[in-house]
Amino acid sequence: MLDRQNYLKVKLFLNFSRDVHGRSSHQISNDFEHLKALLLWAGSQPLSSAPAFNTSLSDFLFQKAEKGLDQAELQNILNTNQRFLLWTKAMFPDEFQNIHLSWIIKNQQSRKERR
Amino acid sequence: MSENQNTSNCRISRNVLIKAPGLLPMLYTPREIAEDLDVPETTLRDWLNHGAPHSRGESNHIWIDGKQFAAWVDSQRNARKKPTHPLQAGEGFCMRCNAIVTIQNGEIRPVNGHLSHLKGKCPICGGIVNRGIWNAGSAELSQG
Repeated sequence: MLDRQNYLKVKLFLNFSRDVHGRSSHQISNDFEHLKALLLWAGSQPLSSAPAFNTSLSDFLFQKAEKGLDQAELQNILNTNQRFLLWTKAMFPDEFQNIHLSWIIKNQQSRKERR
Repeated sequence: MSENQNTSNCRISRNVLIKAPGLLPMLYTPREIAEDLDVPETTLRDWLNHGAPHSRGESNHIWIDGKQFAAWVDSQRNARKKPTHPLQAGEGFCMRCNAIVTIQNGEIRPVNGHLSHLKGKCPICGGIVNRGIWNAGSAELSQG
């Protein structure tokens, strides 16, 4: 079972993106699909402890979909997740104090770019 | 603790059939599922009354497992498919009885080209039963 608090934060972010950033319903729908990967990656653990996860998000995505996920799509997912993590760090500074900006930037790089 | 009050089939829209597999393996509230599937919450609660899988927490709140719900939606799609029963020679569908019957006193009249018209009576209610026949064979002719 996934952590419900993670899901609620994603929903909050999507509402914020729609109301404040004026993102369209189509963009919101795409963002939600991208953030589902993050929720599945976190599983039952809170996102605030993400740096302690064994696998990185990009590695998880590669394991999840070795075929049928091109580089552009992977980068889109990582970009959306980066925006979300930056937002959560700004909105919940106490809860996400263990997540550093350098980790967020490094985490959004795909496996290919890190080599 | 799952609650199944009524297990009759529900009418599920195509939009829900497409979106349901995307539900996450977690517990949702009815409102959250309704938002994710883009259906009114009243519709979702109606599905819960018709046997959609759900459970109640200690404070009597309804919780729905996303994956179980997606499986239920898929089962509803399959349940709605009626088994096909091709009409045999001399059979027709009686609109009064709402059933397939063997046409009595059938008469075949050619309509156009290979198309013929079999008209007879229902053995149950005595009403008129009509059936179109493509390439009317001897089996149908023997009924008349």
